[in-house]
Amino acid sequence: MIDSKMLSLIGTGLSESLYMTFFATLFSYIIGLPAGLILAISSREGIRPNRGVNLTLGGIVNFLRSVPFIILAVAIIPFTRFVTGTSIGSTATIVPLVVASAPLVARSVESSVKGVDSGVVEAARSMGASTWQIIRKVLLPEALPSLISGVASATITTLGFSAMAGAFGGSGLGAIAINYGYYRGQANIMYVMVVLLVLLVQIIQKIGERLSVKLDKTIRGGAASEETNSR
Amino acid sequence: MSDQIKNIIEIDGLRKVYADGNGTVTALDGISLSVREGEIFGIIGLSGAGKSTLVRCINLLEVPTEGSVVVDGKNLAKLGEGELLGARRKIGMIFQHFNLLQQRTALENVCFPLEIAGVKKEEARKRAGKLLETVGLGDRADAYPSQLSGGMQQRVAIARALANEPKVLLCDEATSALDPKTTLQILELLQEINRELGVTIVVITHEMKVIERICSRVAILADSKVVESGEVSEVFRHPKTSAARQLIFPQGEKTETFRGGKRTLRLAFDGTSTDKPIVANMVLACGEAVSILAADTKLIEGKTVGQMILQLPENEAVAERMLAYLDQEKISYTEGE
Repeated sequence: MIDSKMLSLIGTGLSESLYMTFFATLFSYIIGLPAGLILAISSREGIRPNRGVNLTLGGIVNFLRSVPFIILAVAIIPFTRFVTGTSIGSTATIVPLVVASAPLVARSVESSVKGVDSGVVEAARSMGASTWQIIRKVLLPEALPSLISGVASATITTLGFSAMAGAFGGSGLGAIAINYGYYRGQANIMYVMVVLLVLLVQIIQKIGERLSVKLDKTIRGGAASEETNSR
Repeated sequence: MSDQIKNIIEIDGLRKVYADGNGTVTALDGISLSVREGEIFGIIGLSGAGKSTLVRCINLLEVPTEGSVVVDGKNLAKLGEGELLGARRKIGMIFQHFNLLQQRTALENVCFPLEIAGVKKEEARKRAGKLLETVGLGDRADAYPSQLSGGMQQRVAIARALANEPKVLLCDEATSALDPKTTLQILELLQEINRELGVTIVVITHEMKVIERICSRVAILADSKVVESGEVSEVFRHPKTSAARQLIFPQGEKTETFRGGKRTLRLAFDGTSTDKPIVANMVLACGEAVSILAADTKLIEGKTVGQMILQLPENEAVAERMLAYLDQEKISYTEGE
């Protein structure tokens, strides 16, 4: 069943999917990380409350999030063409992927940053830290474990979107599954691609979890409770 | 020059009003007080009295609506952004929940304010190490907050607050999350810091014990106002307002509800005569018994201070004689509250 044709399909599908997912997630963070930070610090409880900025940015994010990915991807084809010169293939697919994922990343980053204990931020302010110092030395490092979990989720969502893009000129595992399984009736190829997608999601999820736990200094076994008890 | 009293913190006519959806809330209403250089000053009040807001006005974490806050000669509200950040570095602060950076070790936490102030990394680590030794945690430099007990975390927080050699240390309910034994250890450490480094300390608390233990002067905050202030022994001996009495003698205040129509007397012991059995002597001298409705004594700065609520005999003549006896013994009392 697994012949050389299947192997080459697997190879192409995997590399295209990983390529799209990696770069789309990367660009989503380049846009979403600052956007999420701005959302968090401009909120009412943030360190630089600014209602106007918060509402405007939040509105854009909500708008983009509420458009289904397929429709969004089709709607921005002119933009995609403007950026990449084409509307089909892996590189072209990255554009709608970023437009769809960046708002999700922004919300995820916002929620991670808002999860930082406000007392710690207040302590930093009491020590004379500037806004930028608080962002760099308090908010981001303290939110790091949560941010890492967020990266795993965002990567998985982007991978899912990239598979969907197979329906309209995309590439990768999703495109192969649709083209061979749906249009040509070769169900076995579709199943193999689906299994690969599932495996990829599992692997990304596990790496994210491991990394998050490893970096989180608040999870360090029972040393603290032990000492408190012996007092 | 040195024996002249210098006020390091001067608060004058401070008001703080919050906009609250459908109206305004006055958190502080015309607070004026001054803290002398080198003292440990207490601010006590029940929850909601405005203590936390008041202490945050001292380093301008909260911006006063009206009035002025002068710390070490600088009116903080008048400073520009950069100058304010600089001024805050000279005002240390510790908190009820320690507020340590969870993703940094004890040493890195103490380095944090030094990094903020632009101290070189090597120099910062050296200074931080010394500070951890000062607070008795030299051997736990590489531990993360989650690996330290509450008392140890507060020690790290104290070391961190001292890193930039502040002139003032603000303590916001710093011992309220700690058990009694750890509370005492932290209070001793604060006293030591006050004595040896000459840091002026402002203690915010709802616990009498904290004030009694380390403060020289106190302000009592109730309903957004300072209702009493002065030397701790003086304020605690003769509380004038019901807010103060509630804080100082929580049990005593409650007993007023079961007076039962007879004359009651509140005796106040000022620390000079409690070694004599006053009540027993009075009963012997006047030849009639009294009921003790409530009694509470405390040790403040080495003197026994306390109060006792007595129910006087129904016989008016005997009751008068008892009052006369107390006058003669110079015991201050108030009648029939």
